[in-house]
Amino acid sequence: MSQILTIANLTITEAVRRRLLAAFLAITVVIVGLSAWGFDRLSHAQSLTSGESNIAVPQALILFLFMFSFVLALSASAIASPSISSEIESGVLLTVVARPIRRTEILLGKWLGLAVLLAGYAAGVCALEFAVVYWVSGFVPPSPFLVGVYLFAEGALLLTLSLALSTRIPAIAAGVVGVAAFGAGWLAGVVGTLGTGLNIAALRTVGDVGRFLLPTDGLWHAAIYYLQPSSLIVQHFAEGQRSDPFFAQGAPSWAYLLWVLCWLFILLLAAVTSLERREL
Amino acid sequence: MSPPNSAERPAVGRGETVAADAPVRLSEAGGAGLGSRSSVATASPAVHTVALHKRFGNTIAVKSLSMTVERGEVFGFLGPNGAGKTTVVKLLLGLSRPSGGEALVLGAPLGDLETRRQIGYLPELFRFQPLLTAREVIRLHCRLLGRPKTAWTQDANEALHTVGLLERADDRVGTFSKGMQQRLGLGVALLGTPALVVLDEPTSALDPVGRHDVREIIRNLRERGSTVFLNTHLLEEAQHVCDRVAVIDKGTAIATGSLGELLGHHSRVRLKVEGLGPNWWSGLGRFGRWHREDEWTIVEDIDPKRVADLVGELVRLGGRVEAVVPEQQSLEARFLELLSER
Ligand SMILES: Nc1ncnc2c1ncn2[C@@H]1O[C@H](COP(=O)(O)OP(=O)(O)O)[C@@H](O)[C@H]1O
Ligand SMILES: [Mg+2]
Repeated sequence: MSQILTIANLTITEAVRRRLLAAFLAITVVIVGLSAWGFDRLSHAQSLTSGESNIAVPQALILFLFMFSFVLALSASAIASPSISSEIESGVLLTVVARPIRRTEILLGKWLGLAVLLAGYAAGVCALEFAVVYWVSGFVPPSPFLVGVYLFAEGALLLTLSLALSTRIPAIAAGVVGVAAFGAGWLAGVVGTLGTGLNIAALRTVGDVGRFLLPTDGLWHAAIYYLQPSSLIVQHFAEGQRSDPFFAQGAPSWAYLLWVLCWLFILLLAAVTSLERREL
Repeated sequence: MSPPNSAERPAVGRGETVAADAPVRLSEAGGAGLGSRSSVATASPAVHTVALHKRFGNTIAVKSLSMTVERGEVFGFLGPNGAGKTTVVKLLLGLSRPSGGEALVLGAPLGDLETRRQIGYLPELFRFQPLLTAREVIRLHCRLLGRPKTAWTQDANEALHTVGLLERADDRVGTFSKGMQQRLGLGVALLGTPALVVLDEPTSALDPVGRHDVREIIRNLRERGSTVFLNTHLLEEAQHVCDRVAVIDKGTAIATGSLGELLGHHSRVRLKVEGLGPNWWSGLGRFGRWHREDEWTIVEDIDPKRVADLVGELVRLGGRVEAVVPEQQSLEARFLELLSER
C-alpha cells in the first residue's frame, strides 16, 4: 500500500510541475465566468415568463455540464494515455521497476494519483458552477453532490481505459482510442434514445449494448437525472417528447451501477496484467 | 562476507585450472544444478545461471548461458555490441522473462521482490523523472527501498557526494546532461548498501574524469564486500577493475576466468642471451615454441610461472641473460582472437 501511495504522490507532483493544474484552473475560470454571464442573461430575460425561465436554466445547465463532461473525459484521456507508454519509451520506468515494488503497485499508484487529480478538477468545476448558477438564478440541482460524483465516475472510466491502453500502445494512439470510444459511447446513447422515442427495437438495442460496453453515457445520464428539477420532468412528460438525449428517464439502477464497478475492476485488472506481462 | 560454500559451487570457479590450448570454456555447470533455496542466502553465489535462454522472435539473444558470479567479486561481462549483455541483465533483474533455463540471484529465483532490496541497478538506457530534482530522485528511491525516513537526507547527501553532483542537487534532472544523469543513476544504484550492484555500460556517457570516478566507486564497492556485475564493451574498463570476466558473444559465454587466466597461457617472453652456441634453444622446446627476431629470441605460449625456470636453465647452460621481457598478449588481441575462434 505504501508503495502505491509513493507512486500516486509522484504522479501528482509531476502533474503539478507540468503546470497541468494551472492549465486546468485557467480553463475552469474562463468557462465558469462565461457561463455566469450566460446564466445571468438567461434568468433575467424579459421575453421569458418565470415558469419558462425555471425550465430554461436547468436545461442550459445540463448543456453546460455536457460540454464540461466532454472536457473532463478529454482531460482524463490526455493525462492517462502517456503515463505508462512514454515512461517505457524514455526509460523512466526502468529505474522504478527494478526496485522492490510490484508493477501492479506502480499501475495502481498512477491510477490513484490521476484519479485524485480528476476528482479535484470535477469537484472544483461543479462546486464553482453550481455556486455561480445559484447566485445569478437561485437554481439548485436536486442533488449537486451526486452530479459531481457521476461526472467524475464518467471521467474515471475513460482514465482507466486510457491507462490500460497506455501499457501497450503509444500515447497518441491511446488518447485517440479513448476519446473515440467516448464519442462512440455517447452516439450509441443518442441512437438508443431515438430508438426508445420512435419505438425501434434495433436502435434501442444499440443504445443498450453501448451503455453496457462503455458505461460513460449511462453515467452521464445519471448525472443528468440529478440535475433535473421536478418541473422539468413534469414538462417533459406533458409534452410527450420522448427522444431527447439531454433528458434522463430515471435514476441509474443498482444493477447498472454494479456493472460499472465490475467494468472498472475488469479494466484495471487488464491494465495490471498487461503491464505485469510486458517485457521492459 | 563469508566464503561461499564450495560444495555448492559449480565447476567453473576462480581457481579452476584450464587446458593451455583451449579458451576457458564454461563447463556444463548445469550438472551442479541450482542450490536448494533452503541454503543460507549468504552461502549462495551472487548470480548463478543454468542454461539461461532468451529469444525475441527469430533472434536468439541469450543462448544456454551458464555462469556463476561469486559474492564479493567484481565480475566483468564483456562482449561486443549486440552480444546479449543487456538482455542477460534484464533477465537477472526480472525485467524480462527467460524463454528457458533457470537462474538464482543472491540465492533467490528471478524477479523476487525482497531480493531487489539488495540490488542496485544502473540501466543502460534510462532517464529519471525530468521534473524532479536530483535530491528528490534519490529520496524517491529511498522511499521505494523502504529506507527509514530519518536516513533520507544523509543518504541523498552521501550518494550525491560520491558521484560528484552535490552542487547540482537541487536542480531538476531534466536540465542534466546525459553524463550527469548517468552519475545520478550510479548514485541511485549505490543507495542502501546493496549486496549486488549491476552496472550496464556505466561509463558510456562519461568523460575521462567520470570514468576514473566510476573505477574508484567500483573499487570501494569491492572493499565494502559488495558484488559488482559490470556490463561493458570497454576492455580497458574491465582490465582496470574486474576480478573475473566472462566474454560473451552471440548470447553465449565463450570464455570465463580471471584476466590473468584469459591472457596468461597465451603470453610470450622475449630473451636476449649471449655466450651460447648457435641454435642453443633447440634443447629447450619444453618451455614453448621458439623463434628468432633479430637479436631477440622469442618463446611463444610459455606458462608465466615457468619463466624463472627457463632463466635458471639458461644460466646453468652458461648463457649470459641480458634481457627478459615478458609480453602479455593485449586484452584486445585476445578478445578479437576469442571472437574469431567461433
Ligand atoms: N526487446 C527486444 N526485441 C527484439 N530483439 C531484442 C530486444 N532486446 C534485445 N534484442 C536483440 O538481442 C540481441 C542482444 O541485445 P543486447 O542484449 O541489447 O546486446 P548488448 O547489450 O550486448 O549490446 C540483439 O541482437 C538485439 O537486437
Ligand atoms: Mg547493452
